[in-house]
Amino acid sequence: MTILEVTGLRKTYTTRFGGNKVEALKNVNFSVNQGEYVAIMGESGSGKTTLLNILAALDKPTAGSVILDGQDLTKINQAKAAAFRRNNLGFVFQEFNLLDTFTLEDNIYLPLVLAGKSYGEMSQRLAPIAEQLGISGLLKKYPYEVSGGQKQRAAVARAIITHPKLVLADEPTGALDSKATDELLRLFSAINQGGETILMVTHSVKAASQAKRVLFIKDGEVFHQIYRGDATSEQLYQKISDTLTMLATGGEGR
Amino acid sequence: MKKSVYLRLAVDGIRKNRRLYLPYMLTGAVMMMMFYILAFLATSPMLSHMRGGVTLSTILPMGTSVIAIFSLLFLFYSQSFLIRQRNKEFGLYHVLGMDKWNICRILFWENLLVAVCSIASGIALGVAFSKIAEVCLLTILQEEINYNLRVGMGALIETVRIFGLIYLLLFVYAQVRVYCSNALALLLSSQTGERPPKGNWFFALVGAVVLGFAYYLAVTIQHPLQAFLTFFVAVIMVIIATYLLFITGSVVFCRMLQKNKNYYYKPNHFISVSSMVYRMKRNGAGLASICILSTMVLVTLSSTASLYLGMEDSINDMCPYDINVEITLYEPEVFQAETFAAYRRIVADTGVQQVAQREYPMGEILGVNSDDGIFFDMEVLHDFSPNSYGKLVNVRLLPLADYNRIMKAEETLEAGECLLYSMEKPYTNHTFAIGHSQTLQVQKVLSEFFAEGRSTVELEPAIYLVVKDLDTVRDVVVAANEEAGNSVGKLIWKYGFDTDLPEKEQTDFSRKLGDSVRTFFYDADNQLITGYSYGVDSKAANREDFLNVYGSLLFVGVMLSSVFVFAAVLIIYYKQISEGYEDQSRFEIMQKVGMTRKDIRKSINSQILTVFFLPLVFAGLHLAFAFPLVFKILQLLKLRDVTLLAMVTFCCFLVFGVFYAVVYKLTAGAYYRIVSGLQKS
Repeated sequence: MTILEVTGLRKTYTTRFGGNKVEALKNVNFSVNQGEYVAIMGESGSGKTTLLNILAALDKPTAGSVILDGQDLTKINQAKAAAFRRNNLGFVFQEFNLLDTFTLEDNIYLPLVLAGKSYGEMSQRLAPIAEQLGISGLLKKYPYEVSGGQKQRAAVARAIITHPKLVLADEPTGALDSKATDELLRLFSAINQGGETILMVTHSVKAASQAKRVLFIKDGEVFHQIYRGDATSEQLYQKISDTLTMLATGGEGR
Repeated sequence: MKKSVYLRLAVDGIRKNRRLYLPYMLTGAVMMMMFYILAFLATSPMLSHMRGGVTLSTILPMGTSVIAIFSLLFLFYSQSFLIRQRNKEFGLYHVLGMDKWNICRILFWENLLVAVCSIASGIALGVAFSKIAEVCLLTILQEEINYNLRVGMGALIETVRIFGLIYLLLFVYAQVRVYCSNALALLLSSQTGERPPKGNWFFALVGAVVLGFAYYLAVTIQHPLQAFLTFFVAVIMVIIATYLLFITGSVVFCRMLQKNKNYYYKPNHFISVSSMVYRMKRNGAGLASICILSTMVLVTLSSTASLYLGMEDSINDMCPYDINVEITLYEPEVFQAETFAAYRRIVADTGVQQVAQREYPMGEILGVNSDDGIFFDMEVLHDFSPNSYGKLVNVRLLPLADYNRIMKAEETLEAGECLLYSMEKPYTNHTFAIGHSQTLQVQKVLSEFFAEGRSTVELEPAIYLVVKDLDTVRDVVVAANEEAGNSVGKLIWKYGFDTDLPEKEQTDFSRKLGDSVRTFFYDADNQLITGYSYGVDSKAANREDFLNVYGSLLFVGVMLSSVFVFAAVLIIYYKQISEGYEDQSRFEIMQKVGMTRKDIRKSINSQILTVFFLPLVFAGLHLAFAFPLVFKILQLLKLRDVTLLAMVTFCCFLVFGVFYAVVYKLTAGAYYRIVSGLQKS
């Protein structure tokens, strides 16, 4: 079942001085099925961040549509967008984006509190998630007291505690060391196996090689995609590397 | 490196941080302006040929010293705020290879530039506004205004000297601050995670208890003289308590709210409460300062304005007539009608036109108050501490004939009887004892009595006794003096009249009349005839005195208030700016996790409002509790009208509140510009 359908997405920026137009996204089309784990790769400036902002309803496209579970994101107004994000999307950012005035526990509760849930329900929901993410003992700590990996796990907990239709991850391993990266990627796979749909934007071949499908964006278009199929992570890693090399050397392929 | 590089870096540093430096320089300039104006007026030659110039020349310098001390403290506060804000920049200089000596040299230029700019503009503003201030002062004092411009060289030198010294101290302080820091810490100072503030229950409790006690003191104070002493104790206690409560109490309160899970985990409370903890920790001291400054402004303004506005009442209270003569007779034998007729002639001989007059003889006995009269306890009578003042009462005796005449009454009395009027507490006993030897039957308790002139500072309440005749008055006083073995009682002749003389001549006339009274008591050989003392008082002279004292107090009060207000505004502004920078990143994250801009704005708005108006609310509370105390003290200064004080205080609070709200509106704008402006980049 298709949960996300992106068609003919275009985004043009006008620079502040003069009328120079920059086309961040030209024509993006792809779809994601329920329970999928998709990685989007591309170089800096390829339009990844723009795409993610549009998927997150933080930005509006110039043309095209994004349909999440039957609802067109591009038609939602600003006031409703926040509630929509809260109820349907979970976010994991490179810089964790935890509020330093909250304990990890309160940071994780934030979206639920905004949705008006009671404390009893929230703590009931948190227990298994904290267990799975291995942060049960850290809940009363403040962000500045824990490591980057631990912060990111708390951020993942915050993203999935609302049972979102789609988890958007923006370079989730970008600020982590290799050990924490491995740990986080393992958790992502586990969460995906638990039924969550994940869309991850990344630079890291290692991170992408854990996904079930990898999309490549170049110059504002989906340029290529690789399905994992029966391949192991190592084989996928190799395939991705080859594709990236080809992209960099400017080969024509599809 | 060449000298010019440091200078250029310094100029650059100030220009880049002008959002911080401009208000800092402006505040310095305003303080100097106020200092100069007060010093200028205090040394003005105009004082010497002005009535009551002496009063002014003692009150104005008090104002200048308050401003000097306050400026020192306040500029230190601002300076340390500025340095904290710029730590990162200095850290960067360090990393780029400057040593502390280099940075000190940049700071030297910066401080010099700031000092020169502030002093120059302060003096310029001072000279420009000194004439306006002078006109205001003369208007308040109801003096004639002239329009000569003048620059007070003495005041100018004094201003430069004092503030030059202050800026020198600030420079040394800045150097020490930079010298004691290390490079990496400077660079990372804004990134280190902040420990969540722990509520300190103990200090919060101490703060609450101290505040409660200070309030209790203020409310339960009974006697004006006591109030005067208590006031300073209470002020210090309130200041300490305010700091404790704002710094620790607020955190404790937020922590309590967080413990209550059903309250805390609600969309409206969740974010507000948790960020309030940090806000209060960081700004507690600043907010407490704002609160105390506001209270000071309000108390100063309301009391000086009340004194000034209530002046006419106080004058009428002291002098029921234009001219009031009071002669105290030391020899009881002469306390009789013939003597009084001779005294009357002294006035008549001056040839003045008397429009209305009132004459009466009176006996006055000071004793210790009791339920059934007074008694004489020399220890209490001679103990001048506030403690004993509360126990004393002045008994005034009046012959029935004079009472009936003045009040147009037709009372009758037998020997040993009296009519009684008590000014303060109602008197319920049927007899009135004067010492142990005399007791009068109270035939009737009077509900009203004519307003008597009270020319001296009187702290004791009075009880009026109307007795059968003049002889009884004399006998009672003499007997009281005999019993007490001391002159507790005296015999007085009082005479008051209105004249058709213009007010300006009344002062001179009363002086001349005083001279005539004095000559009356000396014979041709300049020998004293009988023991006496006298007082001649005129409304005009009193008005002059009051105008000088209260007018200058009001003027200095307004000047000091504007300095305090300026300081409060700057603290508020700095608070908003530093919070703006801190809230930027939070603002962004919240938006990403699913809050609308409107939600965030609402949440932040409610926090800022709370934080902002907390000092005003507390200032109002302090003011309300200080009210009885202030009133008692102002009673010493002859203010009687409690409604006037209440009205003036309320108006001051209202005006201040509106002003405060305007400042809020303006500075909140700066805050939002920072929060949303840098968010885009």
